[in-house]
Amino acid sequence: MSDPIQESELLQTRRHFFGRGATGIGIAALSSLLSSEIASADTSVIPGYPNFPPAAKRVIYLFQHGAPSQLDLFDYKPGLTAKRGSDLPESVRMGQRLTGMSAFQAKFPTAPSIFKFAQHGGQGAWLSELLPHTAKIVDDIAIVKSLQTEQINHDPAVTFCQTGFQLAGRPSIGSWLAYGLGSENKDLPAFIVMVSQGVGNTQALADRMWNSGFLSTEYAGVKFRSGHDPVLFLSNPGGYETAARRRFLDDLGKLNQLNQHKFQDPEISTRIAQYEMAYRMQASVPELTDLSKEPDSIFEMYGPDSRKPGTFAANCILARRLAERGVRFIQLFHRGWDQHSNLPKEIAGQCRQTDQPSAALIQDLKQRGMLKDTLVIWGGEFGRTVYSQGTLTETNYGRDHHPRCFSIWMAGAGIKAGQVYGETDDFSYNITKNPVDVHDLHATILRCFGIDHTKLTYKHQGRRFRLTDVSGHIVNDLLQTT
Amino acid sequence: MNRLTLFCSLVGFGLTCSAATVEFNRDVRPILSDKCYICHGPDAKNKHIPFRLDHEEDAKAKLADGKHAIVEGHPEQSEMVRRISAEKPAMRMPPAYTGTKLTPKEIETITTWIAQGAKWEKHWAFLPPKRYPPPQVKDAAWVRNPIDAFVLARLEKENLHPSPEADRETLIRRVTLDLTGLPPTPAEIDAFLNDKSDRAYEKVVDRLLASSRYGERMAFDWLDAARYADTNGYQYDGGRDMWRWRDSVIAAYNRNEPFNRFALEQLAGDMLPNATLDQKIASGFNRNHRINTEDGIIPEEYGVEYVVDRVATTSSVFLGLTLGCSRCHNHKFDPFTQKEFYQLYAYFDQVPEVGRGIKYGNSPPVIAAPTANQQKELANVNDQIAAAEHKLEANNKSIEHAQKSWEHHLPKDQFWSPTRDLIASFPLDSKDQFKPEGGPIPYVPGRHGQAASFDGKTNLNTGLLTPLDIDDPFTLSAWVYSDATPDGSVVSDMTDNPRGKGYGLHMDHGKVHVNLTSVWVDDAIRVESEETLAPHRWYHVAATYDGSKVADHVHIYIDGHFAKSKVLMDTLYRPYRNARRKFDVPVRIGGGWGPERRFHGLISGVHLYSTVLSDEEISALAVPDSLSILAAKKPAARTPLENKILRWAFLDTAAPPRYRDQWTQLAALRLKKEKFERTFPTVMIMQDVPERRPTHLLVRGAYDKPGELVQPGVPAVLNPLPPNAPNNRLGFAEWVVDPANPLFSRVTVNRFWQMYFGMGIVKSVEDFGSQGDYPSHPELLDWLATEFIQENWNVKAMQKLIVTSATYRQSSEAAPEALQRDPDNRLLARGPRVRLPAEMIRDQALAAAGLLVEKIGGPSVMPYQPPGLWKEIGMQDTDYTQGHGADLYRRSLYTYWKRTAAPPTMINFDASLREDCVVRAVRTDTPLQALNLMDSEQFLESARFIGQRMLEEGGNTPDARLRYGFRLALSRYPTAAELGVLHDNLQYDLDYFSDPAKAKQYLQQGEAPADAKLKPRDLAAYASVASLILNLDETITKE
Repeated sequence: MSDPIQESELLQTRRHFFGRGATGIGIAALSSLLSSEIASADTSVIPGYPNFPPAAKRVIYLFQHGAPSQLDLFDYKPGLTAKRGSDLPESVRMGQRLTGMSAFQAKFPTAPSIFKFAQHGGQGAWLSELLPHTAKIVDDIAIVKSLQTEQINHDPAVTFCQTGFQLAGRPSIGSWLAYGLGSENKDLPAFIVMVSQGVGNTQALADRMWNSGFLSTEYAGVKFRSGHDPVLFLSNPGGYETAARRRFLDDLGKLNQLNQHKFQDPEISTRIAQYEMAYRMQASVPELTDLSKEPDSIFEMYGPDSRKPGTFAANCILARRLAERGVRFIQLFHRGWDQHSNLPKEIAGQCRQTDQPSAALIQDLKQRGMLKDTLVIWGGEFGRTVYSQGTLTETNYGRDHHPRCFSIWMAGAGIKAGQVYGETDDFSYNITKNPVDVHDLHATILRCFGIDHTKLTYKHQGRRFRLTDVSGHIVNDLLQTT
Repeated sequence: MNRLTLFCSLVGFGLTCSAATVEFNRDVRPILSDKCYICHGPDAKNKHIPFRLDHEEDAKAKLADGKHAIVEGHPEQSEMVRRISAEKPAMRMPPAYTGTKLTPKEIETITTWIAQGAKWEKHWAFLPPKRYPPPQVKDAAWVRNPIDAFVLARLEKENLHPSPEADRETLIRRVTLDLTGLPPTPAEIDAFLNDKSDRAYEKVVDRLLASSRYGERMAFDWLDAARYADTNGYQYDGGRDMWRWRDSVIAAYNRNEPFNRFALEQLAGDMLPNATLDQKIASGFNRNHRINTEDGIIPEEYGVEYVVDRVATTSSVFLGLTLGCSRCHNHKFDPFTQKEFYQLYAYFDQVPEVGRGIKYGNSPPVIAAPTANQQKELANVNDQIAAAEHKLEANNKSIEHAQKSWEHHLPKDQFWSPTRDLIASFPLDSKDQFKPEGGPIPYVPGRHGQAASFDGKTNLNTGLLTPLDIDDPFTLSAWVYSDATPDGSVVSDMTDNPRGKGYGLHMDHGKVHVNLTSVWVDDAIRVESEETLAPHRWYHVAATYDGSKVADHVHIYIDGHFAKSKVLMDTLYRPYRNARRKFDVPVRIGGGWGPERRFHGLISGVHLYSTVLSDEEISALAVPDSLSILAAKKPAARTPLENKILRWAFLDTAAPPRYRDQWTQLAALRLKKEKFERTFPTVMIMQDVPERRPTHLLVRGAYDKPGELVQPGVPAVLNPLPPNAPNNRLGFAEWVVDPANPLFSRVTVNRFWQMYFGMGIVKSVEDFGSQGDYPSHPELLDWLATEFIQENWNVKAMQKLIVTSATYRQSSEAAPEALQRDPDNRLLARGPRVRLPAEMIRDQALAAAGLLVEKIGGPSVMPYQPPGLWKEIGMQDTDYTQGHGADLYRRSLYTYWKRTAAPPTMINFDASLREDCVVRAVRTDTPLQALNLMDSEQFLESARFIGQRMLEEGGNTPDARLRYGFRLALSRYPTAAELGVLHDNLQYDLDYFSDPAKAKQYLQQGEAPADAKLKPRDLAAYASVASLILNLDETITKE
């Protein structure tokens, strides 16, 4: 756009409809933050939206941070028992680049999982004994065994899963959806993140992973924390009650109004509105994060951890409550899946924390009739190697990072459940059928929202960027036929 | 004609009627670039598409079918017009599958342009700026300087009128915030209000530009652009020390360094002839990028990312170009090839760096960067040392004389070794009291007195505990002899197992092997000599380590000479005593590396120092002869080193007391200097390897797909390297700042403009390419760019020019018409009204509260922050340790910046994450900002102190106090209506806080104690009103 006047006119026309935001605020920003009424498809930034009939209204993404071992959970390889301890054949490894951690390793001894697998559900999906609760919902989920990524280290791999690019600077997937579709709740941000600590080897996250990149910062994920202030600076200072805050805001509004008359600057109205939303959040967030009114049956369903604030289980209940309130993108990060050594013990601990609540979340959404429009995703940033990192013993082994295949599951809105998609070779090393790369996963997630991933773009530094960068294919087999 | 009228009213709004001319650069190129270049542009991927629109000749050439896309003056004959306006979707350009579409207006623009002759221009930003004379305007009286003539001419064309000058209170607040980042004090406001001279405003501007706060304010934006932070980023995100670079930026702005010089030093200060410390520090600009330290990474991959970051940042900041786009393929919109990207890359890939950085601390290349005070003190110590040396020198004759007689009476088997920083010396003779481990250890005659004899199963436990850890320097040395290839541990301070923790000097199958291990396998340094030692002879072996956690800084010496070595592992980062764990392993000789690796052979003359001995000192240790043997040689037959050894030994042990005292004093001074130097902060700088390494184009940008070899070079579309400029990074820097460079000056003044008006003349400050925005005032931009060059890149003069313009001084109150026609104020019919940047919002509150602690520079500080923010997402063992006292009240540019968990107040108010370079100002408006201002400790404490100031300094009536407090934040008094609201609010608060419990609790925000004389109820009520004032839209806005 070359002419400033022309540009302003255009903006003004839009703002006439949607009220005017601060400099640089897009339409969806306003719909995300200000008001639910205007968040209709007409205001979408996506050309021709919906590009497909949308099935999903929201996502709950249960991110398993550190990379869970597909070999010990989903990708059953009975043939490995006989190969136990033998060197991984070069024909399988095919010069695969190794992380700096096992590049020094002289041998790559094959390490079959020590956990028992059994078939579950109508399709007879194989699951490890570590996932007894997931086994019960296996007909409600689609297991994808053929995810692949380009990254072999945590930070770039998580960044890639979150933003479609391995380096910092691009918007995360939740930000894209908030930007494109806005929020359905005028009292809550459109993109909310919660982090819980695991018992296994833990790696670092970064705020950037839920940041909005070059999109406006109001699409950034807002991190909810356990404890006193679920949102930073949410509570009034000690001694300052709601009534005082209300009075404060009334007077603040009056003073800001006086200036509004003087400067005619619509940004002042926006600011007043933001303070009002902050006030509403002060009420809505504590109500939301207060689990005390949940019935015992719910806690029983999600498991004993769910009574402890900040645990993955408690966050799963919160995720459901956020979903009920129309939050667009809810993302849980559970840390501790980085089992380079002591895998059997650590992964069992991780599963004790996550298996029951993950399954409970699906059942809970289902019993409330919300699973049909809530997309749930469970998975990490890459897989783990079939060979043992460090010494392989009868009861112990470790696994290094493995980008060529990993397993996730998806459920809910738009997903064709009860299937196992994709296949890997006898070593769970290479994909033999139906590979799905991270861009494909992203394209498919957007598809569930009725978005053509090539159309959700944002112009930055002269280029129209999109979540799927320059690739991405929708995995139609994972989707219900409409 | 009908169509042309339509065109006039839409596109031509900004033009006078006679100027219904379509300009290629302004009107047409953006359409072509945005909608057509993706296929018909410069990217090589489009080779199969014969028709190109980025070059005039191609665009106007005859097509394969004999038609012409563009026929000058004849849209009806132009195939392009036919295709873009085709009814049939199959015929229409751009094709539907591209997802782009021309609007009717764009089609009209192209059609009109062709009708008017299809005049082509090179992209405006790649042409040198033209010096347009300031245009004639009707209202010449309004013009204060040429800026105004350009702005007014445009307004007059639009029939818009400039706004009146802002009132003085608004003006002084605006300009004080803009030039110093802090609000004016009441006294400064009063002085300005009372100054009736014509130069009153100018005086204010001069005062502000002379204030050292100016440099701090200018640094804000530069730190963002330079992606400055206090941590390395990526997964570990451990600390680093770049604050000396940050402080050098502040100092450069404050001493008004010409911007071309400043830029040159930021890019290549290290390469200037006889570069000063400050110039080297300046080059740290391009070391501010993130550095990955994760164990599992492939270092080469990240080595490439750092160079790409340098190219992207440099091109964005200095050239306004998005060259990062050409990493993988030719630029899709601008005339830059992928090869040219790697030619630029070749200027930045010569740094002697490893792709994996140091986890906690600075990664090489690093220099010690003493502060100005430290430099002064160092000079002082150097003077003292020189004086002491001089004193000894003056006594040389007498010393020589005394030494001679001593030399005649030397006992046998007396050796000399350096005594400075000596931890322990073990001659290893039968006088030893150590407990042998693993069997008896006989003493036998050695090369250097006696030697202990080890059989591969035994070792000596000296019982000695040292305090050394991975940050401490050391020197280890010993004489060794073996009948076989030397193997096993010589001297070590490590747990006795091959994966043990600690450090040691070993022999590994004949190689001299040094290791420092914190956690096996990946937290360690291992270095070994290239040379293999032979059996059946004595060797002197030594190793030094400087405490830098860098394997390259472990040096090995064989027989007193520096020996080439190989780095086997270079990832040491955790102290042996990490997380307060104990490390109390004794020093062992002949063992301590596990039972399998005990030494087999003779060892004698072992020394441990807590310093890096000089080459000469190590050579002295390696002299096998006793003092009496050296003394027996005629002085002329001795080597210079042997002469020195005798002199040092004499001064150490036998000289007359007067000289010994002088010698001891000198040694003490040298020790003091060394200890002092170890306290110097370090900073990462740029540096080039002595011999150029080849640079390859990387296919699709991948680190492991090197393509053709490329030489350093600048893009062909821009000016050539200046004559005589070397073709290296220094020459590149000279090219950037060459006045012939069409971009550098424009991009710089445009960024300055953005600081004041919230938006650049070119809105896309980071992109002056064809996808960037066309300037709102192209002639003004060029005038400013040429003016900047003519005025010798005088930065302060440029700021003064802008802030003294009538344009800048306008009121920001918007006339309804202007607001409607130009809501974003791009034409500047009114003054800027822009929300303050994050740093200013916090600093302003601290200043108004009287809490601000002004101190320029130094290590970053940790003010209030909700606990746990680092821990809940970061690596184990990292948490934010909030500071106290002054640390809570320093300006925000000194706040510790952790990239993966940046300071929340900064992020809430749109500061960049500092993950990569950001030059465009972003401003949003969110509820999180409201919560931050209302409820965070920092702002509530500031409110408490503004409340206290109202009570103590504001006068005796509520009105006077409210007026005073309001003015502290807003530089003006409230209107009657405003005062009424404040008054009501105060009344409410006084009632509310009549409950003492509430008041007491409310006043507990922050660590600074309140004046105990004040009544809690009053203080709480005024603090609450102050908080209201801090939350006003106007408070966080520059009016």
